[in-house]
Amino acid sequence: MSDLDEFKATYFDECSELLLELEEQFAAIQDGDRDGDRLNAVFRAIHSIKGGGGAFGFDALVRFAHSFETLLDYVRDGKVELSEDVVVLCIRAIDIVADFVEAARQEQPLAPDYGAEEKAQFDALCRGEALAGAGAPDADDGLMDEFDLDFTPVMVNLEADQYEHPTTGASEQTVWTIRFAPFATLYERANDPLLLLRELALLGTMTVTAELAPIPALAEFEPFGVYCAWIIELASETVTEDAIREVFEFVDGDCAITIERSAAVASTLEPDEFPSFALLAEEAQAERTFIASGEPDEIIAEPALVAPVASKDVTGPSAVAPAESGGGRAVGMQSIRVDLDKVDRVVNMVGELVITQSMLTQQMDDAIRDRYQELVRGIEVLAQTTRGLQDAVMAIRAQPVKSVFSRMPRLVRELATRTGKKIRLETVGENTEIDKTVIEQLSDPLTHMVRNSADHGIEDVAARIASGKPETGTIRLSAEQAGGNIIIVVEDDGQGINRERVLQLARDRGVVGPDQQLTDEQIDNLIFAPGFSTVSEVSDISGRGVGMDVVLSNIKKIGGSVHVRSRAGRGTRMTLRLPLTLAVLDVMLVKVAGAPYVIPLSSIVETIQNSRADFGHMPSGGKVLQVRGDYVQVVDLAQRFAMVPAETEDNRFVVLCEAEGDSKIALVVDDIIGQQQVVIKSLEENFERIEGIAGGTILGDGNVALIVDVQSLQPGNAHRNAA
Amino acid sequence: MEAFGIRDDYADGAAGSSQNTLQLIAFSIDEQIYGVEITTVREIRAWNGATPLPNTREYVRGVINLRGTIVPIFDLRARFGDGQTNPTKNHVVVVMSVGEKWIGILVDAVSDILTVSRDDIHAVPEGNSNDTELLNGIVTHDSRMVGLIDLQAVVSGAKTDA
Repeated sequence: MSDLDEFKATYFDECSELLLELEEQFAAIQDGDRDGDRLNAVFRAIHSIKGGGGAFGFDALVRFAHSFETLLDYVRDGKVELSEDVVVLCIRAIDIVADFVEAARQEQPLAPDYGAEEKAQFDALCRGEALAGAGAPDADDGLMDEFDLDFTPVMVNLEADQYEHPTTGASEQTVWTIRFAPFATLYERANDPLLLLRELALLGTMTVTAELAPIPALAEFEPFGVYCAWIIELASETVTEDAIREVFEFVDGDCAITIERSAAVASTLEPDEFPSFALLAEEAQAERTFIASGEPDEIIAEPALVAPVASKDVTGPSAVAPAESGGGRAVGMQSIRVDLDKVDRVVNMVGELVITQSMLTQQMDDAIRDRYQELVRGIEVLAQTTRGLQDAVMAIRAQPVKSVFSRMPRLVRELATRTGKKIRLETVGENTEIDKTVIEQLSDPLTHMVRNSADHGIEDVAARIASGKPETGTIRLSAEQAGGNIIIVVEDDGQGINRERVLQLARDRGVVGPDQQLTDEQIDNLIFAPGFSTVSEVSDISGRGVGMDVVLSNIKKIGGSVHVRSRAGRGTRMTLRLPLTLAVLDVMLVKVAGAPYVIPLSSIVETIQNSRADFGHMPSGGKVLQVRGDYVQVVDLAQRFAMVPAETEDNRFVVLCEAEGDSKIALVVDDIIGQQQVVIKSLEENFERIEGIAGGTILGDGNVALIVDVQSLQPGNAHRNAA
Repeated sequence: MEAFGIRDDYADGAAGSSQNTLQLIAFSIDEQIYGVEITTVREIRAWNGATPLPNTREYVRGVINLRGTIVPIFDLRARFGDGQTNPTKNHVVVVMSVGEKWIGILVDAVSDILTVSRDDIHAVPEGNSNDTELLNGIVTHDSRMVGLIDLQAVVSGAKTDA
């Protein structure tokens, strides 16, 4: 991979994150949070996408992002009201930006006019027009009267923070006169003159004059026109022409630069009194040119460069820099981008370290303890550090579920728009952390579930009113940690599952036999059966009979389970139970025929000594366990795995496990050793999948133990081998 | 990657240690000597037990932990259809890579490293399909027959004839 490809890959990674952030911020904005920081965050995100896009020459993306950015800037400055319509437009724009990014990634250009409509709307909004046409835009006349024509230049601090000026005393200085006239392309590539000037200011004492004369009358003003140039007088003892040229190296070709050397003067600059903004503004308005000089702060007048004239403050992309160097960045956490593979390698190695450490600990006997006290102490410290390390490493992989939840608000909005329903989404516990691999697997199922709730659960407005419910339906998305599991609940206050219809359909399709009697809960869970769809009219959102069965299979794949409860007319609740991590598992270590096996703790309900268990015999020769009035199929693991039990029946144990849904299964094992955490290893990596086994793990003594796959030992499967 | 590199590489000899020679790790099962190309061998270790796998072929003795990776152990004697080995501490596991996977084979003893010429490799006489399936060829070393094991066949058989 070439360097450029790598940069590109990084850029696209960043874009995905930024788009997600945009999504999140706009979701909050739409919920009424008009905090300025949100707009700043949105602005930064779009700006970063644009900036990177410019560097790689994704012109279509840059053009669209630029318009979007301009609009956002207007919004931020309060010149365009952030109305509901504008928010909706912005959210659509995020989609379009995402499409552009995707197109750039795939190197498949979109239609040339893609997003043109939205772009036109941005531009219209920026011109102060109402959204989506108060008639045809009549931009040239009339409109102008509505604007406040005051032009107020704003001072910009040219120097970087903490910068200490190099020149203090009077000494021989060279004065350079630089004329810097940017072309439109400079702005299109997301460069900012302010940054260049700031960099220049580091070279010496600087006085900047803006050439404002070329700015045309308002009526002729081109929104994207470039009218401003700067004359910079830079006084320094040391600076060379090359050093100045270097500052402008990145915008070479996008601007006109002339550099002249003026006479050497003795620096006698006295620190001027800092002029007040109001005074400066007045001055500027009066003269339309504006010079300010002084130490330690230089000031520059920056007129509206890119944006139209109706501005009170600095507008255009040039305003980005102060926002960024201000509070914005410090707020975000510092982070680095690391390949997940690398993290996994660390996780694996730490797993090995834990095992080695426990092996060392096991080697210590009393003789060693007496003789080598220092060694023993060292090993104890090692044990602590290792555990700490393991926790720390797992925390690296953990991420808040927010990254998945934040995709849902837009989904719900879109669904609401398309179905004409009113739906509100509530999210709770979005900071709950889960392993990254689980999060990745979560996105699709959750999307289907939310979709299902919006489409099938929530009724339309009329139906809701008729049944005395509030017009707006609520979907509640919550996440919480419960022991080694994460529980994610998707709840709605809709009509609930129509059991009669579900059952009828299930019978029609042969999912359920004609005589089979099902409990309400069993009927509810039928919606996860493959090829099942209850809505007679297939909508384009859900109801194609794919979806809910995908949910189930995806969730099962990562060792989770799905549950549905519904109350007619009151709503539906779907509960997802997921393991916290896929890499580390809390298990119970057992022995079967002398070999070690582990059973995931999350699926164990209780353990009973065989001699105390209440068994019943079935005609087939199989056994059932009676536990609190329930009869549970018994699976003897030794028999099931075709091995000979090492213990007499009475000394063996029953491990009652919860399999899918509420179904239980009782596993008979020879012995119970204890509980521990294990790192899951694949058997398939070097071998193949084995029925009834979910994987392997390495125990403290270095031996391999097999992980029992409770799901696949389900009673239905078990019958074959039992007896 | 062809496990043994012989079927394909007879002519060009690129896989050998030098131009036209082949280095083998030789090991024995009962009196018979077999060999595998030395480049596929990753490690030789004494038998130290293995965790048995349920519901699998009799020649899959189980899995071991090889520095954090789970590696299956194939009992070569059982694979040849001569019944399971009754392993002791003196038995040896030869760990090697077959394609992407690492496997171990349980043998009685490792005897030697042999250098043979590719030209001396004989085809396996037609007759018993088991022989032709599991052996790539036969070479003579010190007037003794050395069977060249087709590792791919040893492993892939585990998938098909369940």
